Amino acid sequence: MGNTIAAIRKKLYQDNIAGVVCSLPFIIGFLLFMIVPMLVSLYYSFCDYNILAPPVWVGIKNYVKIFTGDPTFYKTVLVTFYFAFASVPLRLIFALIVALLLVKSTKLTPMYRAVYYLPSIIGGSVAVAILWKRMFATDGVLNNVLGLFGLNRDFSWLGDTRTAIWVLIILAVWQFGSSMLIFLASLKQIPASLYEAADVDGASKWSQFWNITLPLLTPTIFFNLVMQTINGFLAFTQCYIITQGKPMDSTLFYTVYMYQQSFEFYNTGYAAALAWVMLLIIGLITWFLFATKRFWVYDGGL
Amino acid sequence: MKKLAKILVMILVMASLSACGSKTEDTGQNAAQGGGAEGNGEKVQLVVTWWGNQARNERTQAALDLYAEENPNVTFDGQFSEWADYWNKLAIASAGSSLPDVIQMDYAYLGQYVQNDLLVDLKPYIESGLLDLSNVSEEIVEVGTIDGGVYGISIGVNAPALMYNKTLLDEAGIEVKDNMTIDEFIALSKEVYGKTGYKTNIAYQKGNNFSEYLLRGNGVNFFEGEQLGSTDPADYKAYFDLYEMGIKEGWYVSPTIFTERNAGSVEQDPLVYGSSPDSRSWCGFFFSNQLTAMQTAADADGIEIGITSWPAKDVKAANYVKPSMFLSVGVNSKNPEEAVKVIDYWTNSVDANNILLGERGVPISTEVAEAILPQLSKTQQDVTKYINEVVMPNSSQINPPAPSKSAEVYQLLSQLEEQVCYGKMTAEEAANQFVEKANVLLQ
Repeated sequence: MGNTIAAIRKKLYQDNIAGVVCSLPFIIGFLLFMIVPMLVSLYYSFCDYNILAPPVWVGIKNYVKIFTGDPTFYKTVLVTFYFAFASVPLRLIFALIVALLLVKSTKLTPMYRAVYYLPSIIGGSVAVAILWKRMFATDGVLNNVLGLFGLNRDFSWLGDTRTAIWVLIILAVWQFGSSMLIFLASLKQIPASLYEAADVDGASKWSQFWNITLPLLTPTIFFNLVMQTINGFLAFTQCYIITQGKPMDSTLFYTVYMYQQSFEFYNTGYAAALAWVMLLIIGLITWFLFATKRFWVYDGGL
Repeated sequence: MKKLAKILVMILVMASLSACGSKTEDTGQNAAQGGGAEGNGEKVQLVVTWWGNQARNERTQAALDLYAEENPNVTFDGQFSEWADYWNKLAIASAGSSLPDVIQMDYAYLGQYVQNDLLVDLKPYIESGLLDLSNVSEEIVEVGTIDGGVYGISIGVNAPALMYNKTLLDEAGIEVKDNMTIDEFIALSKEVYGKTGYKTNIAYQKGNNFSEYLLRGNGVNFFEGEQLGSTDPADYKAYFDLYEMGIKEGWYVSPTIFTERNAGSVEQDPLVYGSSPDSRSWCGFFFSNQLTAMQTAADADGIEIGITSWPAKDVKAANYVKPSMFLSVGVNSKNPEEAVKVIDYWTNSVDANNILLGERGVPISTEVAEAILPQLSKTQQDVTKYINEVVMPNSSQINPPAPSKSAEVYQLLSQLEEQVCYGKMTAEEAANQFVEKANVLLQ
C-alpha cells in the first residue's frame, strides 16, 4: 500500500506529468470548447441544417453556392476588407503616437496610461455601441458641434453609404489601448545607449526615430499587425448593434452576414460553410503577412 | 469564427446536457397522467418567454408575480425580447433542447414548430379539465389546432391597424376615414405634409405584412404554398411604387432616419420619436394590439394616437383578423402540467387579466372579458371597437402561414425597398428583381 502511494507520488513528481496535470484545465477546455465545436461546425457546413430540424448531408452544395450563387458574400468580403485595411493601420499609427508620448515618465504617466487604455476595455460593449450610434445621429453630438462652427448640421452620418462605415472604423481606431501597451513595453526595451550615441553624432530627433526607434519596433509592429488584422476580420458587435449592415449592406460585415444566415434565415449549414471560408481567408492573409516578414521586419538580436 | 464557435459551444453544451436528461422526461402525450408530483408543493421554476414592448413586459411580469404569490412553490423566470431577437433565441433554445416552459407563439411560426415536434399537445390537458376552456369559443381553439392536436391557445385577436397622430391631424383640421383606398392615402399624406410638415412612414424595413395586404387587395396571395403567389412583377410593383412616389414628391420620410434607430423598437418609431417634423411620421403601420404601447410611448409628448385600417385597393379583400399571441408549452418543459396551469390562469383569472388589461388583445374567456370591461382604458376600448366595428364586417380570411423560407424573401423585399428609397433603383426594376431573386430563394 505504502509502496503504491509512493510510486504514484513519484510519477506525479515527474516534470512532464506535473506539467500536463497543471495544464489540464486548458487542454480540456480547448478540446471541448474549441476543437469539438469546430468539428461540429465543419460537419454542419456540409449539411442542410435549419436549427429546428435535424441536419441533412448535402455534400459541397453550400460551398458551391457561396462562390457561384451569392453576390452578398462578395459584397460582405469587400466591406470586411475595407474595414480591416482602413481601421488596422490607423489604429496602429494612433497607438504608436500615443505610446511615444507616454513613454516619457512623469508623475502622471501611470494615470494617462490607464486612461488611454480605458476605451479598449469598454469599447467593445453594447453600451458604447449605442452611445456611438447616438453621437453620430443627425441630431447627435457631432452634428451639434459642427453646428457651433457654422457647418452643415443636417448630415446623416449613419444614413449615407459613404460615411456609415467610417463611424465603425473610428470606433475601432479609438480602441487602440492594447496595441499601445505592447508598443510601450517594446519602446522601453530599446537601449538608451543607442540614442546617446546618436545624440553624440548630432542626429536629430526625427532621424533618431526613423533610424533607431522604428527599425527596432518592427517585430512589435508585425505582431500587432497580425493580431489586429485577425481581430478586424472578426469584428461583429459594432456592426450588429450600430448599423446592422445598413444602409444598403454598405456596412454588412462578414460575421454579421453569417449570423443573419444562421439565426435570421435559419440557414445554419450555409452559415457554417461561410465560417470555414472565413477561416481560410484569414489563414491566407496571415500567411501572406508572414511571407512579407523577411522584407521589413528587423530580427537581428541585440 | 470566434463568435460562431462560441455559439456552437453553447449549442453543444446545451445539447449534451439535455440529452442526458430527456430520456427520463415525459413528453406532452403522457404527461397529463404523470408528473403530478411537481404539483404538490415541490419547488418549480418555470421559464416564460414573450416578445413585446415596455408596457407588455411590465404587465406580464406583474401578472406572473401575482401567480407566484398565490402558488408559493412556483417561481418564474420571465424572459422578453423584441420580435426579431425573440425568434433567434427560441431557435437556439430548440437546438439545445432547452425550450422554455411557456412560450408566446406566433401564427407564422406555429406550423413550423409543430412540424418539428417542438410543442406539447394541449388536448389531453383540455380534456382532463386542467386547462379550462369552457368560456372560450370553439373558433379560438380551432386556430391553434394542427392535425387534431391543440398546440397553442390564442389569447387575443388582432388586426392590421394604421395608427396616426390624432392630435396633430385634429389641429390641422384633417379627418381620417376608415377603409381608405391607396389613392386616398396618398392624397392624405400629401395634405398632412403640406399643412404640418410631418412626413409619412409606410412600413420601411418591415413591409412584409403590408405588401401582403396590398396584394390581397388585388386578389393575389404573397405566397402560394412554397412559391410566390404571382410571377408577374407588376403585382409586386404597387408596393415599391408607393416609396418611389413618396420620395420623389417629398412626403416620405428620409430612409436615413432608420439607420439611427433600433429597428423594430416601438418606442423609436417615427410616429412617436424624432426631434423635428421632417424626421417624424404622422402615421405608422402596426397591428391593433400595439396601440397600447404606441399610446404609452406617445403620452410623453401628450399625443393621442388614432386607429384605422391599412389602405388597399379593396380593403374588404385585403383586411383580416389575425389570431395572435398563442401560448404554447415547449417539449423540453420538465413540468408541462405546471406550465398548463399558468396558461389556465392566464385564460381564466380575472385578477390576472385585471393586470394584463387586454394588452395582447381582448381576453378569450367571455366571462373574463366581461369582468374586466369597466377596467379597460380608453385606448383598449378603441382597439376593441376597431376590431368589432371596422375590421369584422369588412375583412376576409387570413392567408395561410408563410413558408419557412419567407424570412429571406422578406429581407430581399427590405433590401430592394431600401434601394428604391435611396434612389438607386426604380420601382419597376425593384419589382422585376424581387420576382426573379425570390424565385431563386424559394427553389
